[in-house]
Amino acid sequence: MLSIQNLHAGIEDKSIIKGIDLTINPGEVHAIMGPNGSGKSTLGYVLSGRDGYEVTEGSATLNGEDLLDMDIEERAVAGFFLAFQYPVEIPGVSNMVFMKEAVNAAREARKQEPYTAGEFLKLAKEACKQVQLPLDFLKRGVNEGFSGGEKKRNEIMQMILLQPTICFLDETDSGLDIDALQTVANGVNSQRDPNRSFVVVTHYQRLLDFIEPDFVHILADGKIVQSGDASLALKVEKEGYGFLGINYVEEDV
Amino acid sequence: MNQWLEDVIAHADTQAAGHAGATWLSRQRALSLDKLKDNAWPTRRTEAWRNTPLKPIESRPALLSPMAISTWQEPAIPDFESIDIYIVGGELKTDISTLSLPAGISIYSLHDEKAAALASQFMGKIKPETHVFGLVNDVVADAGIIIDVAEDAVISTPLRLIHTATEGVENHSRLLVNVAKNAKVTILEHGIGEQESMNTSVSEFNVADNATLHHYRFAFFTQKALHVGGCHFQIGESSYLNSTIVAFGSELSKLNVDVNYLGEHAKVDMNAMYLLAEGENFDLQSVIEHAVPNGTTDEKVRGIIGDRARANFGGRIHIHPDAQKTLAELNNRNLLLSRRSLVNTKPELEIYADDVRCAHGATIAEIDETSLYYLLTRGIPRSKALVMLNFGFIQELINAIEDESIRNWLNNMLSNRFQSMEVQVS
Ligand SMILES: Nc1ncnc2c1ncn2[C@@H]1O[C@H](COP(=O)(O)OP(=O)(O)O)[C@@H](O)[C@H]1O
Ligand SMILES: [Mg+2]
Repeated sequence: MLSIQNLHAGIEDKSIIKGIDLTINPGEVHAIMGPNGSGKSTLGYVLSGRDGYEVTEGSATLNGEDLLDMDIEERAVAGFFLAFQYPVEIPGVSNMVFMKEAVNAAREARKQEPYTAGEFLKLAKEACKQVQLPLDFLKRGVNEGFSGGEKKRNEIMQMILLQPTICFLDETDSGLDIDALQTVANGVNSQRDPNRSFVVVTHYQRLLDFIEPDFVHILADGKIVQSGDASLALKVEKEGYGFLGINYVEEDV
Repeated sequence: MNQWLEDVIAHADTQAAGHAGATWLSRQRALSLDKLKDNAWPTRRTEAWRNTPLKPIESRPALLSPMAISTWQEPAIPDFESIDIYIVGGELKTDISTLSLPAGISIYSLHDEKAAALASQFMGKIKPETHVFGLVNDVVADAGIIIDVAEDAVISTPLRLIHTATEGVENHSRLLVNVAKNAKVTILEHGIGEQESMNTSVSEFNVADNATLHHYRFAFFTQKALHVGGCHFQIGESSYLNSTIVAFGSELSKLNVDVNYLGEHAKVDMNAMYLLAEGENFDLQSVIEHAVPNGTTDEKVRGIIGDRARANFGGRIHIHPDAQKTLAELNNRNLLLSRRSLVNTKPELEIYADDVRCAHGATIAEIDETSLYYLLTRGIPRSKALVMLNFGFIQELINAIEDESIRNWLNNMLSNRFQSMEVQVS
């Protein structure tokens, strides 16, 4: 389904992704780990089509279609979902209106009738409860005044409502306490499906205790330097990235 | 001179020669007629009219003879209960003598001698003489009402004056409102229409000591419905004025707003928004006179300007030498939807007192790229995402409206209007 081949990309003249090959089949969970600055977020941005990120070489296809040739919103309705490391606050746009528009755009692409306000409200309330956000968060501006953890829950709520086929979760676990982590993990697990796959970017094994990955990849300096099964994450947890000959420096982000 | 003004003056001369009407009215008409005759018709060199060409009105005849109009638009606000009074085709269409009014409120027609004391005290005295179309209204307005809210009266049912533009006859209506000491009332002025016409509704409000006025003015005149109106307030000690102005644009639409602080510790919250669709024009000029100490003004003006539409905003806050401890804030933000959208904005603070806190500013906004990206990653089409982001811009002012029914109604109506506007930001 998602097939990335020899992908090179960067910003302006700076090369950040330096040759990534990755195939993600339906139903699989892939974890991506790696030091700060290695290009994990950049990979998500490039796949989502963010302006300013230029692909210089290689390809990425989603279900055989050229992902890189699509507009941002086309990628989304084609089934690509990015849960942001730092979700943006949009005061003045209600979370509810925002999500309804998004879900109905996806439905329209699938030739389904748009939800009415009433139908959508019911779904949104369920999703809101599922990620344990108070219902009044639906009425607030998108992420407006949300804490870091609440923003991450809101990302997962959107994922639940949008029903994408490939979910790229960028450090969704960072900054969460153990309860929030469990809520987020439960949200993800509830969406696991033979037709849906996940790319989970994380620094921590503790998330992978809840969401068991089929594959773990270590990204360093824009390249996948090692891939393995779940045991690779455990090894990173114990030993850091030293065994790969990488000096892991914790940056302030 | 131009055709329209000539007709107006001829009409006023005939009127003066004929029946006199109420005493204060004929006195006011005579005074204003002299001024109108002396007054130079504004040109593009007249500061107040520099960015608003009068061409759409100049070359046409003034249509001042009332027409018997029997059906008109009745703009409903869902779930909103108000006492509605209609002025259509220059005539008062509501029989005010049969209205069931709450205790503490009296309504008179413009010609009712019973309102003489009130009218001669305030009419034409709250409105500055400088507005040419205010003078026009003085001499030709025949339909209108005088609302008197008694001391200590707290009126919970809002009053709504509705003027609708109809083809073939102009609408020059007058409203005078007295909110006596400690009284509280909500007044809406609701103007609508798109047919070829001209409207100069002028309203004057006296908000006495410790009184509260919630005021709305909707200038929903579009297309060929021309409009140059005025809202003029004087406010007493410890009074509170909350005014919400919402406007669309037409070939010519302009509103003058004046606030005079007469007593200390008064407060004004004024929120104005204009949403101009393709090719529309709107001009808002506000002047706030802080003549006494300890006044507080918070004025927020937001505009969304569509393709080839033109907005003009002038906001002057004048702090007189005695007006120490004034707090005044004026802020105008505009969002242009196309390269051919135009806004002229001129917020002005004129300060002659030293112990004041004031701020003013104007911005022309651009779309926040990161927010746009976020909406796009959720599959929302670009055109819709732009609408959502831009509408958020004035949502803040809609959300500030206290009345839930008005808030919901405006929210729906304005977002629908906005969604039909095309965004052409690259
Ligand atoms: N807007 C930008 N302009 C230039 N360099 C950037 C920009 N954003 C990120 N980078 C650089 O790209 C590299 C990869 O960053 P990122 O993808 O955020 O890493 P990770 O998510 O793995 O921590 C880093 O060296 C970072 O400094
Ligand atoms: Mg990152």
